Amino acid sequence: MTQQQEKLSAFMDGEMGVSNDPLITDIELDQDLRSKWQRYHLIRDGLRGELGQSTNFDVAASIAQAIEAEPAILAPTKRLRDIPVIGSVIPLVKQSGQFLVAASVAAVVILGVQNFNQQDVSEPFSTAPPITGPQGGLTPVSLEQTRSVQRNDMAALLEQRRLINALIADHQRQLQMQQPQAAETSVDEKVSSQNEQKQPQQP
Amino acid sequence: MMKNMIAAACISIAAVFLPLADAQPSLPPQPDSAKDTAVEAENQIAITRLNGAEWLLKMATGIRQRNYQISLVVNRPNSDAIPYLWRHGVFDDGVSMEQLNVLNGPGKEYIRVNQTVSIFEPDVAPYSITGDLIDGPIPNQLLIAPLELRAGYEFIAVGRGRVSGRVAQQIRIISRDNSRYSYQLWVDEQTAMPLKLNMLDLNGQLVKQVQVSQIQVTEEPDPYFERINHDMLPAVMTTAAAAHRHAWQISYMPDGMNEVKRNTHRLMVTGQVVEYAMLSDGLVNVSVYVMPAANTELQNNVYRHHAKTLLTRIEGDIQISIVGEIPPKTANKIAASLTARIQ
Repeated sequence: MTQQQEKLSAFMDGEMGVSNDPLITDIELDQDLRSKWQRYHLIRDGLRGELGQSTNFDVAASIAQAIEAEPAILAPTKRLRDIPVIGSVIPLVKQSGQFLVAASVAAVVILGVQNFNQQDVSEPFSTAPPITGPQGGLTPVSLEQTRSVQRNDMAALLEQRRLINALIADHQRQLQMQQPQAAETSVDEKVSSQNEQKQPQQP
Repeated sequence: MMKNMIAAACISIAAVFLPLADAQPSLPPQPDSAKDTAVEAENQIAITRLNGAEWLLKMATGIRQRNYQISLVVNRPNSDAIPYLWRHGVFDDGVSMEQLNVLNGPGKEYIRVNQTVSIFEPDVAPYSITGDLIDGPIPNQLLIAPLELRAGYEFIAVGRGRVSGRVAQQIRIISRDNSRYSYQLWVDEQTAMPLKLNMLDLNGQLVKQVQVSQIQVTEEPDPYFERINHDMLPAVMTTAAAAHRHAWQISYMPDGMNEVKRNTHRLMVTGQVVEYAMLSDGLVNVSVYVMPAANTELQNNVYRHHAKTLLTRIEGDIQISIVGEIPPKTANKIAASLTARIQ
């Protein structure tokens, strides 16, 4: 029995090969050994300070009781995935990742919009009202204010917004991927010669 | 009076570091106080003689050769401040390492080992690109090779100020043709490290601000760098450098701006195929997109997203879009200048 206890503690510390040892089956079959397994883990967690509040002990004990009532669940041969709680947690994690993507796209939607008089290139902005607005410049105007929105216009606006998001996201992406494509510009001789000059210079 | 004396003391310390060709002769040994003030006066002249470009060169040298840890915050009007931690270390064996960490939110981390920049961000598998410096809140070119910016910008030393509790020198960076936003840069008078960078629109309104809140220049690189396992960093991504020729060309570019990239790719969000070109003057990058116009009747519009301008312009059945941190009128000028390529 003491030999088995030693084995058990070695097993927990991962110091023992698992393949051809009867210990696992022993743990499965022996009630005593199983509760020891449970307690050892509890002790180890306590030593590592991973238990936190002392109230956790109560929870752990009640879980241990429940486990004793249903030995099959704790059988060490079970994989994490087989435990129903974790099985359902993983997809949730994945989902939250998708939310993140959606949120980052949505954040781009908030834009100031202004009709742009393209003919007046010379002084389109000198007549603009003093800029007090938040977006750092152009007074933000809601889409509804720019003109009366008709139904098919609305669809166009939505499409436009989607495109705006796509363009801003792509610009950001292109900025980040800028360096490795430097070779690509060799098509344009003028540009490539300028790139060659871009050696870091020592003053 | 007291203030003046403190300032003068700072100058004499700073002057020791100046790599100026016409630097003043070394301090005479006499403890004569009258002589001292004379030297100080001369040093003052040396400091004031440093022009904008010389300050920037000093900064560039420091950025590449010093070991430092900088906490900085990026502010944009009406949006949340974004804090960054930026570390740099040069080891005895010549290996230079750099780290940039976005401290709020899900986080994003850049780690550079020599010329390899690895990027770790949520929802994207880590990848590496090549680069001399991490492309952080302060434009890369300004930190590495500021003199190359002279094609498009002028540097003007404005004078002394106080930023982040340090005596600082202000340098204005203004585009020569007034077609781009301008900058105000403050560098530490003693170390020439950057302390603050403002980006201003044509009306002088702040569009973006980088403010250093803490700066530590140390003898040894930060111990953090020793924990990085160089073999665990992702491999450098190589993108197929497809030779590409668009059927159009850009006739107008602001002074100092060049085409640095050109390709045809799909937009990730909509899947639309676009012809693409990137223009850069070293401080700002501008994306030019050309695609078939949607069949809806859209007006030509300008949008603003933070400091970025997005302009769309319909020419017949093609849509031209310009994205970048440039004034709308410049974006419009670029968009209007697209012509069919002359073979």
